[in-house]
Amino acid sequence: MAQSLKLVNRTSVFRNLTEMWAEYMRRNSEKVIKTHKCLADIPGPSTVSFLTDIFCKRGLSRLHELQLEGKAKYGPVWKASFGPILTVHVADPSLIEQVLRQEGKHPIRSDLSSWKDYRQYRGHSYGLLTAEGEEWQQLRSILGKHMLKPKEVEAYSDVLNDVVGDLVQKIKYQRRQSPHVVKDIANEFYRFGLEGISSILFESRIGCLETTIPKETEKFIQSINIMFGKTLQTMAMPKFLHKIYPNPWRKFCESWDYMFAFAKGHIDHRMADIAEKLARGEKVEGKYLTYYLAQEKVPMKSVYANVTELLLSGVDTISSTLSWSLYELARHPKIQASLNQEIQDVLEGRDIATAADVAKMPLMKAVVKEVLRLYPVIPGNARVISDKDIQVGEYIIPKKTLITLCHYATSRDEKYFSNPDEFKPERWLKKDESHHPYASIPFGFGKRSCIGRRIAELEVYLALSRILTHFEVRPENPECLVKPMTRTILVPGKEINLQFLER
Amino acid sequence: MNMARSVSILRRTFMSRLHGAMCPKSNAATQVLTRSYMRSFTTSAKCQDAKSNIGSSEENLTVNFINRNGETLKATAKEGESLLEVVIRHHLNIDGFGACEGTLACSTCHLIFDQKAYDKLSSVTDEEMDMLDLAFGLSDTSRLGCQICMTKAIDGITVRVPTEVSDVRRDQVEKQNKQ
Repeated sequence: MAQSLKLVNRTSVFRNLTEMWAEYMRRNSEKVIKTHKCLADIPGPSTVSFLTDIFCKRGLSRLHELQLEGKAKYGPVWKASFGPILTVHVADPSLIEQVLRQEGKHPIRSDLSSWKDYRQYRGHSYGLLTAEGEEWQQLRSILGKHMLKPKEVEAYSDVLNDVVGDLVQKIKYQRRQSPHVVKDIANEFYRFGLEGISSILFESRIGCLETTIPKETEKFIQSINIMFGKTLQTMAMPKFLHKIYPNPWRKFCESWDYMFAFAKGHIDHRMADIAEKLARGEKVEGKYLTYYLAQEKVPMKSVYANVTELLLSGVDTISSTLSWSLYELARHPKIQASLNQEIQDVLEGRDIATAADVAKMPLMKAVVKEVLRLYPVIPGNARVISDKDIQVGEYIIPKKTLITLCHYATSRDEKYFSNPDEFKPERWLKKDESHHPYASIPFGFGKRSCIGRRIAELEVYLALSRILTHFEVRPENPECLVKPMTRTILVPGKEINLQFLER
Repeated sequence: MNMARSVSILRRTFMSRLHGAMCPKSNAATQVLTRSYMRSFTTSAKCQDAKSNIGSSEENLTVNFINRNGETLKATAKEGESLLEVVIRHHLNIDGFGACEGTLACSTCHLIFDQKAYDKLSSVTDEEMDMLDLAFGLSDTSRLGCQICMTKAIDGITVRVPTEVSDVRRDQVEKQNKQ
């Protein structure tokens, strides 16, 4: 800073103030060099007022709205203390781009997390979501090639289509119970999500879509919900509070315990199954992820942790996206009709879409993009740059600072999306000048982006195309608006009830 | 390794894993065994797969990369091999290239083609387009190196690695970091 002041002095000694100002404005880029600001200069609420917002005004479930409020009040960069953690919020697409371009070789999402604390506490391994550095890179490389490459993903079509078939049967069953209506569709889609990801992980079905649902799968889904519900709370509470007020941490650990046990049970069962088959001299084919993990240099403890994390990642994410898709399509009958037309044109009388079919459905992709813009499953992501200070806009952010990327705020910003709260899939078919590619990145970007992205997209496309082929979807009560809420991830704030009319 | 042998090894390893689960003391040892046997099995499967994918193992094609500093890096390529694979196999020194290992999750293998070569390339998928959208210095003839496979039709092409605008601001921060 002293040096920049000296520079300013040296060049400006013989100039009058007006000239200086003109020069200052003209040489905008130099201005940035000379006036970059530090962490202390970043505006933001006081710790007390932020904590009051979070704990007293149901702020944890409104975190996505706090992004909008923060941006309106302080501009695109502000800081706040989330319990013991100071975090810098970044809520402008260009600034998010700047952070992501500087994330380095082994990007870190957050180094202070209750998810990691739990694994240490119980002596479990880290999975892809929680591992860092070389360990993370090794897992990412193994899983990435089976989960992200389009050709590999196509191979899951049949397995996923079987699950979609059961989903349609389940919807038919449910709508017979209360005429035409399926209550709380998110709940149906949790089960669909869990069945889908299980079929990919174990290549075997676990019965989530049957009329009587196995108790353990219901408990697994419950555990995910409780765990997500307690994640932010346990992070925001300083550790000494866990002893004084033990409930959140205890419930958080119990949910994780159940999920780890569930995954281990299924893996062990599958392994024993294979061993038995081999013993009988039968051929064993493996086209599922647990098998790939077991093939590589991955210790069993790590297989358990990875499968647990992959299982839970495929449930709420799929459920929210499908729930919001049908919610919006039900409220926009014209768009629903066009989408159905597109599906029928591609399928030409067939019932079941393939990966190649959905590739030919631009409106389908636009609908899902628009749903994820309005309701990004991950409303706020994070990065920690551990080895260097980085410049973000006019600020220098010191290394090891937790940077919160406010995706919800950018994807609802009218600067980038006209009528930002409206569902308009056509905006993705012809992007206008205000389009900024980093304004809506629901899967993240780069080597630490969502590893399930391609599978999830395929799963959602296959499900939507078959649901719309069989049913016209309408709101049960058009007056009933549903807003999103944050439960670590963004979920519907109340039940979404829909009518399914058979075509 | 023939198929019969692979299956017998698989059988042995799974039986030993099962045994390991029943007798926890020997678990660690069996796991090491399992891993090494399984690995030898998968390696052979992968090689067969790679051969059928690539089509030809002869390096009879060439490709030139103009690096950010203007230097031309010439490399030989096999038919069917992606440009990202060429860069990795020859250890070409292009900073940050192919960060996501060809999984269509980033755009660091972004390359710029001349119009003639661009017209000969396979069509762009929506997935590649979405990633290109997020690329730095996008042009009308941009593609991702991981999606372009070498063919005889584009033998001898020259592709350009997009130059990042020299960012004085970043230099300033780097200086500060060093201090």
